[in-house]
Amino acid sequence: MFQIYLPVAEISVNLLVMLGLGATVGFLSGMFGVGGGFLLTPLLMFSGVPPAIAVATGANQIVATSVSGALAQWRRGNIDIKMGWVLIAGGVVGALAGTLLLKVLREAGQAGLIISLTYVLFLGVIGALMLVESLRAMRRARAGKPVRARRAAQHNWVHGLPFKMRFPDSRLYISAIPPLVIGAVVGLLAAFLGVGGGFIMVPAMIYLLRMPTNIVIGTSMFQIIFVTAVVTMLHATLNQTLDVVLAALLVLGGVIGGQFGVRAGQKLKGEQLRALLALMVLAVAIRLLFDLVLRPADMFSIAPIAAGA
Amino acid sequence: MRAALMIAALLLPLSPCLAQVAVTPEPAAPTEGVQSDISTREISIQSNFTGIEILIFGSVDYSTTPEPEKAVHDVIMVVRGPSQPMVVRRKERVAGLWVNGEERVFPTVPGFYTVLSSRPFRAIASAETLKELGVGFTNINLGLDAAGDPIEQTFRSSLIRLKQRAGLFQEHDDGVTFIGRSLFRGTVALPVNVPVGLYVVDVYLFRDGELLSRNQSTLKVNKVGFERLVYLLAFRYPFLYGLIAVLIAVAGGLVAWAVFRRE
Repeated sequence: MFQIYLPVAEISVNLLVMLGLGATVGFLSGMFGVGGGFLLTPLLMFSGVPPAIAVATGANQIVATSVSGALAQWRRGNIDIKMGWVLIAGGVVGALAGTLLLKVLREAGQAGLIISLTYVLFLGVIGALMLVESLRAMRRARAGKPVRARRAAQHNWVHGLPFKMRFPDSRLYISAIPPLVIGAVVGLLAAFLGVGGGFIMVPAMIYLLRMPTNIVIGTSMFQIIFVTAVVTMLHATLNQTLDVVLAALLVLGGVIGGQFGVRAGQKLKGEQLRALLALMVLAVAIRLLFDLVLRPADMFSIAPIAAGA
Repeated sequence: MRAALMIAALLLPLSPCLAQVAVTPEPAAPTEGVQSDISTREISIQSNFTGIEILIFGSVDYSTTPEPEKAVHDVIMVVRGPSQPMVVRRKERVAGLWVNGEERVFPTVPGFYTVLSSRPFRAIASAETLKELGVGFTNINLGLDAAGDPIEQTFRSSLIRLKQRAGLFQEHDDGVTFIGRSLFRGTVALPVNVPVGLYVVDVYLFRDGELLSRNQSTLKVNKVGFERLVYLLAFRYPFLYGLIAVLIAVAGGLVAWAVFRRE
């Protein structure tokens, strides 16, 4: 019942399970204000979707999330378009590198391993940092002390680099190199892990570029739309790992789930939300690690070889 | 004149038949032969496709079976799907993690392979005959001769085991049943993941271990409708395909923003 055959993934999945998966990730991303790619791709892998297809299809889903997010931010004037284009330029280069890297690893039969390992590393570190930070904030809030914001230094090494550009919306006059590099790293992660990369880009924009915090989220979403769209196109043309039927199901589920998530998120406190998200991120990392460490049920695996390879 | 021409025109298409009848000699003694066909010549895969069962049937011409209970004939059916190169990988433990290690490439792995027989096929014909005809998992030509190498044997048997688990390789002794003296039938279940392409069905007729006759028929498996469109776009026009996926996502995002915005 409700089984649907995915033409490119070449597996049969349950329609309701995939819609539910999209809705759950959409709900979580709406509640926590994150892209959700770092949850969607591993969850797709857990449900039997081949890793390379999970990555490409996950990236496509993030296009939808970031379009609606960026539009809301744009209406409030919270996007630095010029900075966005510089980040996108770097992002496209990184996306190309990430797509080719995945292609090489897939042909060598190591794509699943490297994707899982990178996820374990990223999710483990970020989950642990978030958990520690949110627990500390909760303890401080209970003690009645005000939550102190870290004061930003006026200048750092970033300001010594050449190719300076003016970014009036961010009130910055800095070198174009750091945003290009940040964009490229995010593009690489998007192509290789099927994530938006906001969890790297937002802290980098605040602490490295010293952008005003109110325009950081909107600008990162603006970049993510274009970079994940490019990633989708690259995977479709170079790796042929995009499954449009799965993508459409996830987008549909995600759009619906996201709206309920936003409402649920407004009822919870910031520190509690972050602690909850941190626990979920850690759970996904541990599950991925278990799959790598535990003795596999079957020592052998088979895969078709593309005619050109 | 006109009447004569009309008679000639009417006779013309008949003339080859007349000639053939005249030339073909009357057979001295009827020899046993096998005829067979498949219940369908074409299978269309749509999004609601969950697998299908096909019927292979046939009959023995001039059957020498005295009565149905004392069958003297054996039938083996082999169904082969389009072949493609496959790689088999073995997991090895590296620094506590299970990673894909050694691998072997088999250049011609049939996408589907099934043997049906009227009784265990090893009892029907000699090992040499079965090998020559490619009957049975051990005799499939995978394009890599693994006879001498025990490691390659392991990879080969793992490939067959995994294909068997996916329902793509099957062996059914007693899969062929005789009805009366000359009619026989066998059914093959094609699972949801059958590859598309041309399938070849070989039917072999044996008596006392001797191959008397063989017959071949084909079956086409196609994707149709929406499935075909998606498949064609993804592999022939990948740029357009990617663009469509992006547009779906952008549309989804726009709808979400327009419908649910709170302003």
